[in-house]
Amino acid sequence: MVIVEIVSGPITPFPSEDDHQQDGAELVFNGRVRATEHGENIMALEYEQYDGMAETELTQLANETCKKFPIHDLFCKHRIGKVSVGETSLHVVIWSKHRKEGLEAMIWFIIELKKRIPIWKWAILEDGTRIPSECKH
Amino acid sequence: MIQVKVKCFSQVQYALGVNELSLELEPGTTSAELEELVRNTAQGKLDGVILRIAVNQKYVPVEIELKDGDEIAFIPPVQGG
Repeated sequence: MVIVEIVSGPITPFPSEDDHQQDGAELVFNGRVRATEHGENIMALEYEQYDGMAETELTQLANETCKKFPIHDLFCKHRIGKVSVGETSLHVVIWSKHRKEGLEAMIWFIIELKKRIPIWKWAILEDGTRIPSECKH
Repeated sequence: MIQVKVKCFSQVQYALGVNELSLELEPGTTSAELEELVRNTAQGKLDGVILRIAVNQKYVPVEIELKDGDEIAFIPPVQGG
């Protein structure tokens, strides 16, 4: 099963349940905002999405991951808007029979997410300036 | 003439200073020609920035002819996660 959500407030993690009796591995990944971007101190990142396309592409990617790897469930939440340093911006949970396929699926899913999902981040610097995250000035 | 909407994100938004553009184009204008127009409007600020093209919220791998009412996004490198 796949669950994908793009949320504008703090991420509530998916519950860790004891009823996945065919799954020996429950993998949880939380991507969090670092205090520096390209060596500069920041206050927060502001995530921007292409409304509609981002969720469609993310759902498609999650389904592709479930077909490519023998995993049972992939749940993903991606936060949009201002995310303060230390907070979670990406939360992924994968349930699989064994750890190997779950770990491989997690790595592939996140790599592909960073290649194709139309979501961008703006760095909010200490003086309040907002610049595209890749921009060095 | 055809009318199209251009959505601007991240570096494209930063370069053009707007979130969205409404443009009137000659019939037969292609996605590559519109990209050239956008890059020229950015006056060098998008030089070296690789842009993928989405038309009506789907990536298009090749140059296509634009149609009246299309929504186009020139997608700079994405940064989710």
